[in-house]
Amino acid sequence: MKTIRIDPITRLEGHGKIEIFLADDGGVQDCYFQIPELRGFERFVVGRPVEELPRIMTRICGVCPASHHMASAKAVDGCFGGEVAPLAHKLRDMYYHAHYIHSHIAHFYALAAPDFVLGPDADPAIRNILGVVAKVGLEIGGKVIQARAMAQKIQQLLGGRTTHLVWCLPGGVSKGLNKNELEKIKPMVKELAAFADFSLKLFRDIVLGNPQYVDLILHGPYTLDVHSMGLVDENNAENFYDGQVRVVDFLGKEICKYHPHEYADFVAEHVESWSYLKFPYLKKRGWKGFVEGIDSSLYCATPLARLNVSDRMATPRAQEAFEEMFRTLGGKPCRALLANHWARLVEMVHNVEMLERYCDDAEITGDRFRVIPTKITGEGVGIVEAMRGTLTHHYTCDKNGICTSANLIVGTTNNNAPIQMVTKKVAQTLIKPGKEPDQGILNMIEMAFRAFDPCYSCATHSLPGQMPLEVSAYKNGALHWQLKRGI
Amino acid sequence: MGNPILCDDAIGIRLVGCLKKRLQSFSAFDIVEDCSLGGFNLLEVIDGYGRLIVIDSIRTVGATPGEWYYFTADRLRATMNLDCVHDANFATALELGRRLGMHLPLDHDIHIFAVEILDNQTFAERMTKELENRFQTIVDEIFIPLQLLLRADNQEK
Repeated sequence: MKTIRIDPITRLEGHGKIEIFLADDGGVQDCYFQIPELRGFERFVVGRPVEELPRIMTRICGVCPASHHMASAKAVDGCFGGEVAPLAHKLRDMYYHAHYIHSHIAHFYALAAPDFVLGPDADPAIRNILGVVAKVGLEIGGKVIQARAMAQKIQQLLGGRTTHLVWCLPGGVSKGLNKNELEKIKPMVKELAAFADFSLKLFRDIVLGNPQYVDLILHGPYTLDVHSMGLVDENNAENFYDGQVRVVDFLGKEICKYHPHEYADFVAEHVESWSYLKFPYLKKRGWKGFVEGIDSSLYCATPLARLNVSDRMATPRAQEAFEEMFRTLGGKPCRALLANHWARLVEMVHNVEMLERYCDDAEITGDRFRVIPTKITGEGVGIVEAMRGTLTHHYTCDKNGICTSANLIVGTTNNNAPIQMVTKKVAQTLIKPGKEPDQGILNMIEMAFRAFDPCYSCATHSLPGQMPLEVSAYKNGALHWQLKRGI
Repeated sequence: MGNPILCDDAIGIRLVGCLKKRLQSFSAFDIVEDCSLGGFNLLEVIDGYGRLIVIDSIRTVGATPGEWYYFTADRLRATMNLDCVHDANFATALELGRRLGMHLPLDHDIHIFAVEILDNQTFAERMTKELENRFQTIVDEIFIPLQLLLRADNQEK
């Protein structure tokens, strides 16, 4: 049996290792995607005042710090009885929509767009955001940077900082929004609305206007028959900050819907000896392995999954975009994982519409943004939708408010099994007997997990910031061929 | 740069915390002491500056924790690709910013001090014993070229 190993060696942030085992005829027999996980978080936080955790949690990740801050804040709210000032919920939600915008812009333009604008087989030297800018023009490139900066600025005006928030407190937030700050936000929201519409149009023109890309999305190997998970409000409309978790099978039937405090009754985590990262699955169905199908206990938690579980969007322009997307994709739920890139753009329209609503909300500049807790109830669960999936924080504390335990299921963890499976599926499709793999195939394999926008490391930064890849194929125990990138 | 609760990844932040006291006599520079950011976010921090000094951690194969390297951003040119899965890497972000007309330091004016570390995957407020034991030595060693860089900048002004 031959082995292909994709194993980064030198890097500053988290990485994954892909090992592909080839059969004697050169076809892919099996594939393992191994994720090293950051260690010791549960031990690290025990013994600290639980109200400090939202400020610590933002340090888990430099890309999605607000997601951890929000989920943590909600868990801490629970530990102190659960009462939160209604205005604080609005402010937190408003911040979170701005946070979504800046993240989705970065992912779509820097990570997804190169594959579609330049092509998945394009030379790696140009298959990046610089290549995108060269093709679409400096003016558009400038718009991308400006839009992202505006989303960051809105976050700063609301929460005081753009990264590593120290804003949420038990019962509310530490800072409200004054009228001057709101007047600064309004014109930026208007520009972001135009940018969201522009981004959707760009997707229509470049991706949907290219039959090969449409074919790749709809009929390529990037599909999985597993279920979808996401947060919804009382009308089953998508919600990023609050609501119930809903799971829908790939035929559209609801499997379950639960409140955050019930999560442990519905989701369990399976451990494999070859991976540090666990594999969440639907508990009531039991672990059935890495299998697709209607009886599978596996699910995706992604932008596409969020739209799959939603009956509607809560805002009108996003609803139009939602309907257009599923109409084009042949109905919902959709199993085409590359459609995640489209789903992000639909979500961005919703994010902007919600910012518009909050800008017009007469209460948003109020001063009652915190309720001081009066009791310690000892346990709380906070669930939000991180950009890359449903994020759960569960804490317990003693009668003095000192943390006694913490459990997290981060967004990407939910997708661990699906990423595993689609990587194998793509590898099996592309690596054929007698055909020497090349860098294009490496990228096509990467596209499989890039659609999930995974955040494995939750490290903070990267200076070169690369995820070096090494693919090694072995036959009968000997190295047969090797591909490297970034090493 | 770094993460203050990710063991040795705190080295950059810890070093700057110590070094800034020694650098008080120098003028015309700003310190961002806690920069836990990726590519695009870094652009927003450094936009408008003529020179940049970065102090960070690095992990390479076969090196000794506590060793450190100095290089300029010219060495990052080869990494302009899609490898980073959730942000643009520094080199890509720099090039993008320059092409879009942002005022960013040139590659030879971006000075990087990178310290070899052992562990950047365990949550902890202290670094590994290897880094803690060598910490003061690293401070003293890096201070020498650092002050030369800043002295040269002061003289230019």
